[in-house]
Amino acid sequence: MTLLSKTITTFGSLFLAHACYSAREHAALQSLRAATSASLTSSPTAASSLPIDIVIETIVSTFIILLGLVLGTRPLRPLEWRVWAGKIEREGEQGFTDNSGVVDKDYMGNPFAVLESRPNFVDIRKQRRQFAKWVQEGSGKQGQ
Amino acid sequence: MAPPTLLPASQLSPADALAVAQQAPAFLRSSPATVSSSPLNTLLYGSEKSELWLQYENLILTCLRTGDDTAAHAALRRVVSRFGDDNERVQALQGLVKEAEAQNDGELEKVLKEYNQILSVNDTNIPVAKRRIALLRSLGRVSEAASALVQLLDFSPTDSEAWSELSDIYLSQGLYSQAIYAIEEVLVLAPNAWNIHARLGELQFMAATAPGVANGSYQQYLAEAIKRFSRSVELCDDYLRGYYGLKLISKRLLADGSKPTKQGDGNEFVVPDTNTLERLNELATAKLAEIVRRSSTKERGWGGYSDTEIAAARELLAEDESPIKR
Repeated sequence: MTLLSKTITTFGSLFLAHACYSAREHAALQSLRAATSASLTSSPTAASSLPIDIVIETIVSTFIILLGLVLGTRPLRPLEWRVWAGKIEREGEQGFTDNSGVVDKDYMGNPFAVLESRPNFVDIRKQRRQFAKWVQEGSGKQGQ
Repeated sequence: MAPPTLLPASQLSPADALAVAQQAPAFLRSSPATVSSSPLNTLLYGSEKSELWLQYENLILTCLRTGDDTAAHAALRRVVSRFGDDNERVQALQGLVKEAEAQNDGELEKVLKEYNQILSVNDTNIPVAKRRIALLRSLGRVSEAASALVQLLDFSPTDSEAWSELSDIYLSQGLYSQAIYAIEEVLVLAPNAWNIHARLGELQFMAATAPGVANGSYQQYLAEAIKRFSRSVELCDDYLRGYYGLKLISKRLLADGSKPTKQGDGNEFVVPDTNTLERLNELATAKLAEIVRRSSTKERGWGGYSDTEIAAARELLAEDESPIKR
């Protein structure tokens, strides 16, 4: 997904740069022609506008860049509270990744879970005991 | 992967905690040893991130839990060198490390005395006050912890975490109505917390099924529980815990039969009629079955549930099915 969007954006930028270059060349050519024609004949030439192909190229390349950028945005978050909450519960951190599969930095699970885990009141000695027990059970299982 | 996540440390499973603790030395090496807040440094190295300190805090908690005291001390040193000894949160962290390393009750008493001393200088030091309450509870002096917590809530009544702790303390003492009152205070402060709604429903259910409950209040509790669980699934799609409770209670109320309930005087909850109960039960059963089915086939986007919760839901569903098979 990211590769696709980057490729499209690069192509769009190339086209845009090409359109700019063409416009510049066209302007240079016009001024040269005006100078030469002014020296030959004194008839004033109509102020020429850009050729239609350069205009179209500019507009199309702008839209291609836009398409690439839009494709590259991360998935949108749900707006409704219950949908968002359901996404947290159902998908866990898998639901909050960007396009390359890295979990968002600001993902913190259920923001109200701290009201039940209460980190400021943590009973650290109990947690230590439980962890030691878990380690013992784990090593016991591995030993079998 | 950045080792210590921003997730609160106590929410990690033992395996995750071990993984975080094992990466602690690497994390400590990769992040700068001292962070100064001088403007020159900010210009040269970019501004410091507040997440970094949250990560340090979680790292200390996780390392203490897994018994990696050296890493915890290293992280604590950095926090102290940045914020100083007299920062309230740092004081609480230092106390936490001491608590974790205490070998016997005598050393714990010493830590408790230090807390008391800090609080005698500044009795609005909330982090240390919370540590003191947690230590009292850990030492088994629950009533002292409860009264200290009530005192804390007296001058800081918007602290939802403290209300939640109070509810837990009351619950451990079997004081259901007080526990329910405290968790209702949490809901006042965080009305959209779907897990707290489910928790309140669980408390109501526990209160209803406690021995020696009068029939009137039994129905009252169950009626309120069913409303709380309904609210929790309203706030959160596919909330396993909410649907589990909804099914449990609607089944129970259906099994009790439709006893005539006295009409409440307006502000009391009334048990819904049998028809509504049956529909609630059907809805919860269907949702639970869907969650169990999709989660156990490891369908994409259904991996957020813990295995124990899924197993419990499966058991509840199996209970339901067995009479039909016979």
